[in-house]
Amino acid sequence: MISISDDIIIRTVSRVLVPFIQIYALYVIMHGHHSPGGGFQGGVILGASFILYLITHGLEDAKERMSELKAGLFSSFGLLIYSGIGLLCLIKGSNYLDYGTLSTLLRVVPAQARSLGILGVEIGVGIAVMAVMFSIFFDISTGGVLPEDEEGLGTRNE
Amino acid sequence: MNNFLLCLGIGLFTLVFLCLYRGIFGPGILNRIAAISAIGTKTLVILLIMGFIYNRVDMFVDISMVYALLNFIGTITAAKYLEIGGEI
Amino acid sequence: MHMLHLTSIPFFLVGFFFFLAATVGLLRFPDFYCRLHSTGKGDTLAVLLSLIGLSIYEGFSLTSLKIIFIAVFMFIAQPTSTHAISRAAMRCGLEPWVKNEEKIQ
Repeated sequence: MISISDDIIIRTVSRVLVPFIQIYALYVIMHGHHSPGGGFQGGVILGASFILYLITHGLEDAKERMSELKAGLFSSFGLLIYSGIGLLCLIKGSNYLDYGTLSTLLRVVPAQARSLGILGVEIGVGIAVMAVMFSIFFDISTGGVLPEDEEGLGTRNE
Repeated sequence: MNNFLLCLGIGLFTLVFLCLYRGIFGPGILNRIAAISAIGTKTLVILLIMGFIYNRVDMFVDISMVYALLNFIGTITAAKYLEIGGEI
Repeated sequence: MHMLHLTSIPFFLVGFFFFLAATVGLLRFPDFYCRLHSTGKGDTLAVLLSLIGLSIYEGFSLTSLKIIFIAVFMFIAQPTSTHAISRAAMRCGLEPWVKNEEKIQ
């Protein structure tokens, strides 16, 4: 059970730095085909920003910002984007993840449609990786104790 | 100018090995954490110098920014773990 | 751009000198808190000077602006991590080293 840090320097500095780390993570996702980066690397940096917030501000405050329900929904949403683009290409009559057939839908040339399709897939991967990283760290830090166990539902013979 | 940067890089690389001595033989865990943080800082500068030697700086700037981030987050996590007595 | 190259050489040399001083301090000081002094302050200044030298070497472009961002981030983040480590050492009960074996109240 990680409690809030009682030092004002660490709390203030991490509260200042977390938005900038997230903006940098979005930059890394978007520039995947120009420079080192892409979906997975940007997702890791985005997850690391949430982990920094959890380390310095404790489990309760982090639960208010991003609960386990929201983390599960984000990971499913990222997967939906990835598979949705693939299935859209399948419905249009070509192979799975063949972005060239999306050119009639987006009204661009096929080369540009491939570039946009890759960008969409990277965004989906980034969101899913962020949610899974936060979820794993959250589960390990609670120690496997659910809130229901602490209250006592009274279903056991005590 | 390339030769000057290469000598600088080799000198920093030697300093990394000197820091590694404290990382291996430091009595206790706290000395090792400080040594790892110092090694990370020197690695960042070595990466940028390598980018200048190979004339492709655009690639190496993003990587070194990420490494600075991860060094910071790792040190803060290790300090928090020691502070609460290792009950994470 | 020979002028820019010649201007950036002093920054590199002073930065390397501070790196050397910080590492020698890390090896030779008698106590953990003294070593943390040396590596926390010396490394931060050395990185700052080296990155400013690299950004001057590059000229005025987008890449040098990114290198300045890295320098500002290191300036904020590295003293914070030094502070966090020393606080953890204080909580763990590590006592400072005193000459002549006198106890600190």
